Amino acid sequence: MKRVATVILNRNLPGPTNELYEQLMINEGSITDIYVLEAGSRIDNISKYCTWHASDPDSMQNGLRYCRGTNYALFSLFHEKRWEQYDAFFILTNDTVISRKRIIRPMLAVLDEHPKVGILSPCSKRWGEKELLKEIKTRYFWFINNNALLFRREFLESIMQVNNPDFLSFIFDGSNFRGYLADVELISKAYANDWAAAITSHVFAEENESYLLEQADLIETEPYKEHMRLYIEEGKKWIHQKYGFNSHWSMIEYAKSFYDAFFRLHPELGDYMT
Amino acid sequence: MLGVGPMSVNCVDAAIELSNKNNCPLVFIPSRRQIDSEEFGKGYVNKWNTAEFAEYVRERDTNGNVVLARDHGGPWQSELERKNRLSLEKAMESAKRSFKEDIDCGFQLLHIDPSIDILRTPSPDEILARIYDLYEYCWSYAQSVGRKIWFEVGTEEQSGRTSTEDRLTYDLDKITEFCSVSEIPIPKFVVVQTGTRVAERRNVGSFDTPLRVAGEIPAVIQVPRMVELCKRYGIYLKEHNTDYLSDEALSWHPRLGIHAANVAPEFGVVESQALVDILESHDLHAVSNDILQIAYTSKKWQKWMLPGGTTSPRERAIIGMHYIFSDREFIDVKNEARRILCKKGIDLDQHLKDSVKAAILRYMVLFRLVDKQ
Repeated sequence: MKRVATVILNRNLPGPTNELYEQLMINEGSITDIYVLEAGSRIDNISKYCTWHASDPDSMQNGLRYCRGTNYALFSLFHEKRWEQYDAFFILTNDTVISRKRIIRPMLAVLDEHPKVGILSPCSKRWGEKELLKEIKTRYFWFINNNALLFRREFLESIMQVNNPDFLSFIFDGSNFRGYLADVELISKAYANDWAAAITSHVFAEENESYLLEQADLIETEPYKEHMRLYIEEGKKWIHQKYGFNSHWSMIEYAKSFYDAFFRLHPELGDYMT
Repeated sequence: MLGVGPMSVNCVDAAIELSNKNNCPLVFIPSRRQIDSEEFGKGYVNKWNTAEFAEYVRERDTNGNVVLARDHGGPWQSELERKNRLSLEKAMESAKRSFKEDIDCGFQLLHIDPSIDILRTPSPDEILARIYDLYEYCWSYAQSVGRKIWFEVGTEEQSGRTSTEDRLTYDLDKITEFCSVSEIPIPKFVVVQTGTRVAERRNVGSFDTPLRVAGEIPAVIQVPRMVELCKRYGIYLKEHNTDYLSDEALSWHPRLGIHAANVAPEFGVVESQALVDILESHDLHAVSNDILQIAYTSKKWQKWMLPGGTTSPRERAIIGMHYIFSDREFIDVKNEARRILCKKGIDLDQHLKDSVKAAILRYMVLFRLVDKQ
């Protein structure tokens, strides 16, 4: 049995998606099944490896983005009763650039080595965090960007919505469409449920922003700057409505408080504290 | 604690008046380029020497709330020391004489920053050795004349890059060890890069952006880590280059545990903008153009420009104008403006002071030093 389900989130970029699929299949096909979610892609822009096609009018118009895409894919696996066969789920966007031949196997090894880690992210060469991951290559954080995350199934089961689940609520709060700070909420839920969120420098992955910067029209998303403006504006509205928070710092403090509590409960993991 | 750069006479008056009115402590943080002793050619702010500046402040600080601090004291921090290409030995002697004058004039907080070296790039241990030398000298001298002083250390400035924990830990280990062996109090403050950097009229560091800055540890990770580190050593965290941060970012400073923050060029730019605005709103375009021209020609704005920036000449002039507030040519044009506005019932300097006051007050309120007014 393959231990990992990998999901590539695609929207109208079949070329990079096919390449990523093939790269993963050749190098890591023995340990992972690979699924492709077409997040409202036009019918002529669908990857040849498409598993699911979210083609409702809203998805066709706006896409799904990372949070709703993750919900959609994971809920589909759950609904199709393929959930329990996996130990972990690796969700990445079609613009992820993997710098080494293998990424999933080393990440799975980290997950095995760190039984309390529920969310694991590869580091990025463009992140300052790499400076903190030299001698100790895996550390636990209260803030991680979400472009390629490996989720432990057990962790997801501790937080997933099982009553009337759908792609708006299964794991992430999909009402925050573009997902600014939704990752911090998920990390808070992890630490609140005695799980940790980690970054490892055993592997690196980069978000190839050129797809957003240069191919915005093709992806049928707003130009990059407009996307970023909306990303922040919507995220801020979301934290205000949901938590009554008026600053991203409040959300960070919220996550950090669970993080600190986690380490009070697990002093033996102090070496991995950031 | 708010550190205010004394950018002009109006700025100094504004800060003192706010401190007096609110019975609230404030710190003046002149660099050696702004105010220095007679020997070093004074500074560009009102051509004050250290003693004149200290006396001016003391005479007006009715509640004794204003702390005088030396920002970035150390070798080659004076224009004169650089211009004369002093040797290390001479530059250190020179820096000591400047510190001595500070102590004599009642400065209570000394930022020891020997990170500049015009001859070569010193190693971290060489910088530390220079810190020990200056620290010991200042402490011994202060003791001998019965002055109580505090120290600030920190060797990074305007990099905008987050301090590496290893380097900071190394420096603080060594400095605290030196203090223990020498029986000198440990520093009160350490300058830590929290992700602030000033360019043009913006804060372009990572602190105030919710987006990731390439190569930077996000401020949401970096700041709590640095606060913890400072706590471990019992030293307060001081942020430099706090200018232009948003209200939201500033309001979080006390809650995040940032104990002190320095703001300087913003106050000079606020005054310059207010000057240009009032001239133009009273149709004194010729005077305004003269002032902008003098400021632009001075090229003092150059150090604040972003590479490849498209800032207009007018903006550049406003950014660099405060450096020439005390130049004869500028004073003459401003006097002319003052006379014309006076006839219209406007007290120009009162207006400029009020503008700077509003800018300083924003920081005081958001740092919870005073209630909202």
